[in-house]
Amino acid sequence: MKFEEPTSDNLFDRAMVIGKATPRIDGPLKVSGQAPYAYERHDVVEDQLVGYPLGATIGRGRITAMDTEAARNAPGVAAVVTTLDIDPLEISSFNNARLFGGNEVRHYHQAIAVVVAETLEQARHAAEMIDVTYEEEEGNFDLEKAWQNGLGTDEADAETGNVDEAFASAEVTLDETYRTPDQSHAMMEPHSSIADWSDGENMTVWTSSQMIAWARKSLAETFDIDEDRIRVESPFVGGGFGAKLFLRSDAVLAALGSRAAQRPVKLTLPRPFIFNNATHRSATIQRIRLAAGQDGRLTAIEHEAAAHEFEGGGNEENPTNLTKLFYAGANRRVKHHDVVLDLPESSSMRAPGEASGLMAFEIAMDEMAEKLGMDPVEFRILNDTQVDPMNPDVPFSDRNFVDCLKVGAERFGWSDRNRKPGDTRDGLWMVGHGMAGAYRGAPTLTSGARVRLERGHLTVETDMTDIGTGSYTILAQTGAEMLGLPLEQVTVKLGDSRFPASSGSGGQFGAASSTAGVYAACVALREEIARRLETDDVRFEDGNVIAGNKAIPLEEISADAEITAEDTMEFGDFQDDLEIGTFAAHFVEVGVHAATAEVRVRRMLAVCDAGRILNPVTARSQVIGGMTMALGAALSEQLAVDKPRGYFVNHDLAGYEVAVHADVPDQEVIFLDTLDPAISPLKAKGVGELGICGVAAAIANATYNATGIRVRDYPITLDKMLDRLPETF
Amino acid sequence: MNEMFRDKIDISLTVNGEPVEGRVPAGQHLVDFLRGALGLTGAHASCEHGVCGACTIKVNGEAVRGCLMLAAQADGADIWTVEGLSDQGTIKDLQDAFVARNALQCGFCTPGMLVAIDELLGKEGVPSRAEIREHLSGNYCRCTGYEAIVDAVETVARARAQKGAA
Amino acid sequence: MQFHRPETVEDALHLMAGQPAKLLAGGTDFFPALGGRRTSDAVVDLTGIASLSGIARSGSSWRIGAMTRWAQIRDADLPRQFLGLQLAAREVGSIQIQNTGTIAGNLCNASPAADGVPPLLALDADVEIAGPDGTRVIPLFDFITGVRRTELKPGEIVTAVLVPDAPASRSAFLKLGARRYLVISIAMVAANVVLSSGGALDGIAIAVGACSAVAQRLRKLEENLTGTVPGSEDFQKAIAEYGLHELTPIDDVRASADYRLAAVRTLIARAVMQAVEGRG
Repeated sequence: MKFEEPTSDNLFDRAMVIGKATPRIDGPLKVSGQAPYAYERHDVVEDQLVGYPLGATIGRGRITAMDTEAARNAPGVAAVVTTLDIDPLEISSFNNARLFGGNEVRHYHQAIAVVVAETLEQARHAAEMIDVTYEEEEGNFDLEKAWQNGLGTDEADAETGNVDEAFASAEVTLDETYRTPDQSHAMMEPHSSIADWSDGENMTVWTSSQMIAWARKSLAETFDIDEDRIRVESPFVGGGFGAKLFLRSDAVLAALGSRAAQRPVKLTLPRPFIFNNATHRSATIQRIRLAAGQDGRLTAIEHEAAAHEFEGGGNEENPTNLTKLFYAGANRRVKHHDVVLDLPESSSMRAPGEASGLMAFEIAMDEMAEKLGMDPVEFRILNDTQVDPMNPDVPFSDRNFVDCLKVGAERFGWSDRNRKPGDTRDGLWMVGHGMAGAYRGAPTLTSGARVRLERGHLTVETDMTDIGTGSYTILAQTGAEMLGLPLEQVTVKLGDSRFPASSGSGGQFGAASSTAGVYAACVALREEIARRLETDDVRFEDGNVIAGNKAIPLEEISADAEITAEDTMEFGDFQDDLEIGTFAAHFVEVGVHAATAEVRVRRMLAVCDAGRILNPVTARSQVIGGMTMALGAALSEQLAVDKPRGYFVNHDLAGYEVAVHADVPDQEVIFLDTLDPAISPLKAKGVGELGICGVAAAIANATYNATGIRVRDYPITLDKMLDRLPETF
Repeated sequence: MNEMFRDKIDISLTVNGEPVEGRVPAGQHLVDFLRGALGLTGAHASCEHGVCGACTIKVNGEAVRGCLMLAAQADGADIWTVEGLSDQGTIKDLQDAFVARNALQCGFCTPGMLVAIDELLGKEGVPSRAEIREHLSGNYCRCTGYEAIVDAVETVARARAQKGAA
Repeated sequence: MQFHRPETVEDALHLMAGQPAKLLAGGTDFFPALGGRRTSDAVVDLTGIASLSGIARSGSSWRIGAMTRWAQIRDADLPRQFLGLQLAAREVGSIQIQNTGTIAGNLCNASPAADGVPPLLALDADVEIAGPDGTRVIPLFDFITGVRRTELKPGEIVTAVLVPDAPASRSAFLKLGARRYLVISIAMVAANVVLSSGGALDGIAIAVGACSAVAQRLRKLEENLTGTVPGSEDFQKAIAEYGLHELTPIDDVRASADYRLAAVRTLIARAVMQAVEGRG
């Protein structure tokens, strides 16, 4: 099925199941410890061995020798495969750093050996016995230096109007530079796989992946075998945030270990290994210039940024993307420098580009509002746009950003905010209020599904994943809605390469795309039922198909044999002529300790515009989770680079400080009641990445409002403010 | 080497109310014994470092890190994981509240979180939201944030107090 | 790796005689400190020795058994001289860590950021050590000699922490980090104070952690503050003008050295005020 034009009134506008606050259907499995994540799939295959990886301890160079004799002879060891034992594996079309093979070391903790043994303890013990000799080479690990060299060079990526003239003639201008650090996804489940490639022919991988079809394709390319010989399963994923979009070394090492030992091998990447072996969000440096008239209308915007990537590219962290679209303004120039560094591969992390871009841009907007003497809410309202400002023929399909701002200001009590920085005290705490806008695109990807109706029970099969987002639940709701069944009569099976290929989970495209895919399959099923009833006028209600004035129970229709249908939703080119996005406004109150500069967030509010909300319970969690991750980004998360040696120093979950329970205050989310007919038949856009966007800047702006100290270098740690605090103790 | 030292240790303990005996490597962590030797699926290893709480289990009545304890140290211990607590039915209200409020997303942290909460709810009185947050700060959640978790715990604590008072 | 779990101090000493062995208590620092590596030394788990656990007063001294867990200290009914130690107990890792981590483990691990050390220094604690040649007692200040280094000799174990009874003493503990909880300290301060009837500081002990290789008592500052009234101008001045020469903080991922020093001044004043006010 092809979605070729914006949808009109349809059954989702009279929904019985979609849009209802349905508790997640996989909840009972998860709260009882029964959900099978990759490493605990003890039952999928017998005789599992355990693999343990070894990582390089240089940032760049080559391996001249590896002594594995002791490891091979250690108790319980079934196989040792080193990077010198095999030719360099192909780099798949989704990867940039090679996952294994050859003597070249291109990043710290690159996998260089896997030890396979009867037990984890034996494998771990033997891995320590491998002696590696390196020839270390100098590497380039310094983004700051590259930024200084690259600033102002090369053609703009996009430019409209006359930016230089607009700045020269502007009444009010701003020119500031902002920095965001390298960040880690830090999903709770480490990368884990069980691989069975015992015969060296057919490969089955039980893994933790956001994208089944991509994983399978990557495995085929990496090992140069036919995709048909590979099966990938990932029914439960313990979080991803982009870390599990692409094939990682866990699956590769498990597969190599399995082929060598001729038995299935399970392997999890040890947590301290993940930060440098796998991917992260690149640091960014961003110079933002704004120009406006005294009336507050933006006349020019310039955004120049740099982020680092592994040789070969692939980093999505382009903070200037949103700058092309978010606010009005006739003159605009954006330029992003992709700097190749020898650090581990940077890659997509939740809202790549927008997350870091808004961390900077929404501080700049706050600074500009102050220069103009304007309320930052009013300033944003004044500069709203309903069209792509660089390409005014392209309208936004449905943009209600101004409503987000107005509703948020009202609900938060923005009019009662602290107005003069440093003016409100609560004992030793300086209290401040801040806000920020948020924008995240709403892409869609081709997505397929198969549906089976048997004795009135619907089974949905798609290779879509549920990485915690709620896919199981919203796909069940979609199926139930389409067939007029109660939710209990729908089973959803996900994450298996034997099922039709879906969009997968990522880029905020999963919910919109995969529900549309299930819709398409259900339309096909409904047509098949209609065909059997020899009519084209059917409705599905209360477990019945209603043809004319006759209601036939679906149980009866599918009593003798299962009725199946399969289809794929493809999204038409008309979407290219529209800007389809999601929008939010965030409001935050913080307290900053007047003597120590500790920042404590006191309350948070998000107002979101993302089309139809398929399930308010799961959508709310997505946004609150994003806000929480952004709180960490604002105040504590930072991968520290060892610049001489080229690795992330704080590579464990103690050193990389994510927000914990006590850091997070009461949070509220409001969804505007909007519909976007251009996105899909369900008129629903994703919210998972919108939730992280803009929040950190709102915290930064509130911190400024509390103290009068502007920090432009994330995370906003206490030491960056101490010398400017009003009190010494 | 003193012959009292062994690199395999015989242990006998109870896990989820069932007697268990095993010969474990001296260096085996308790969470790996539970996952590997016993085939349990509830306690997860995440940070392997004692900070994230995903491996939280109950040992002799108290919530501890399964990744920071050796299986050998559990000789004679009484151990409960989320599977056992589920079967027993003692945390049914809490599990229901977690599902109802969507206090979980990917669910990987959830079993450890529930065991830590079980300890909190075993104490007297209804904890404040601040006390809930402090008690659970050793349990990371990266998906859901914490708001719905605090809501769920508060609901159950209040309901239990009311039931106790009635 | 090999393992043994003795049930008496005598058995433990006997096991350790004549061979390298690593001591395991709650395990909360032991495994992270290995950094993923295995130890080839034998491991002696002391948590099976019941006599090493518990808190009791005998005569003019309090005895905290070496294997007493932080949760026990946190929840015990103790006089207010221990409030600082109890506040520190609440900050040791998380509840799961407090349920297993022990007081002696925290001292023997000798991390510059160990939560237990500053309050115990401020309490003038001694460490009781049993070894093949009998038992000895040394001040905690002399026990920790450097980063992950102590006076403990091969074959010895810590059996107790001894604290002189000081019923008039009040105490406090403050810790600073980027996160609200589960932080690796940027700086921490413990204070024990005794007030005169006029409200001046009659006795004062201040200890600072995470700002030097080993947590430090600020004895010269204590001298300067004695006789001042907490919160008074003299009191503030004494802190503001003090050189903090005992401290040698480092720049790291979490904070600059300068920040640590500035923060310590703030924390000292706050800790003393908090001890005086008796807030928990």
